[in-house]
Amino acid sequence: MSEALPLPEVHGLAHEAFLEEVHSFEFWFQSVSGYLAGRPYGQRPDLVDEPLAPDRRERLVTVLCNYCVGETAALEGASGLVAIAPDRLIQVFLSTQVVDEGRHLEVLLHRLRQLGVTDMEAEIAKRASPALVHFKRRLLELVASRDWEAAIFSQNVILEAMEFTVFQSHARTADPVTRELLQGIIKDERRHIGFGENELGRRLRVSPHIRARIGEVKRELDHFVLDSFEETLRELGVPASERPELGRSYLDAVARLGFA
Amino acid sequence: MVDPLEQQAVEDEAPRQRFLLEDTGFDEVPVRYRRFYRKWRGPGDSLGPNEAICPVCKVVIRSTRELRAGDRVYCMPCMSRLVIVRGEDGGLEARVAY
Repeated sequence: MSEALPLPEVHGLAHEAFLEEVHSFEFWFQSVSGYLAGRPYGQRPDLVDEPLAPDRRERLVTVLCNYCVGETAALEGASGLVAIAPDRLIQVFLSTQVVDEGRHLEVLLHRLRQLGVTDMEAEIAKRASPALVHFKRRLLELVASRDWEAAIFSQNVILEAMEFTVFQSHARTADPVTRELLQGIIKDERRHIGFGENELGRRLRVSPHIRARIGEVKRELDHFVLDSFEETLRELGVPASERPELGRSYLDAVARLGFA
Repeated sequence: MVDPLEQQAVEDEAPRQRFLLEDTGFDEVPVRYRRFYRKWRGPGDSLGPNEAICPVCKVVIRSTRELRAGDRVYCMPCMSRLVIVRGEDGGLEARVAY
């Protein structure tokens, strides 16, 4: 049956009305329903898992363990950001991000279980990139110190932009099950990177003095995530010639924000 | 010879083409907004006169009317407000307006 509601010309909305719509829980719910309904743990039930050669499985487990570290950082970070968000609209949006990050962690853990990992915590601790673990600790310190702009930059610009690129790159060569769950995560990440860049862009426009502080955070933290995800792409066998692409989404975002 | 600026002014005053948008299967926004967005299909793809690529998330944004420099469009999938500008190559492109 065709859509019964009148179709609004969305581009004609006032900016405030647009932000109210896209930050709402209702918008989030209707959006994720479109691509997650009928896909338990992000996978179509009829999708056939292909057997992986032992070395490929081993590399995939390491990569997924590191994705779990990143998603745990984002889950704990977003949870803490809810309490320090500047207004209720942003609190509501961040609550949807918390749900997204919790789901990402769950589907990744489920995939590890499918690959035969039994002790998730031990496996993640053993395989986690020290650079990513360090980044996670610093992100949570920024959240705990109620440094809104620095925390949003670290989480929704540095971490999410790099995850967005790595997951897209990985999805191109992944086995069908891993590809499908990554594609679902990428759709969520679009909201997170957009929220981070736009929120920070609006803040920088009205409070240019925060630029120096964000620049400091960038210099301190972005290489940790870049290094750890370069390691991930090496594990995945992505040729060195394609790895500069990894940073492009992030570098484009910081250039638009004036940190070229 | 026609002055390019005069030519541009003539084009800007001409009535805009209208487009009937169909749902292309883009599933990342609520159903009622889906027809305003589509996926970029890669190197073989091209943009229509009513389309622009979001520089933040690379989704194709669509309008029911031909886009012109100065227009404002929204990318709902990544929640960005964008302004259409004429790029260095003479084509139209979308820039983020925070």
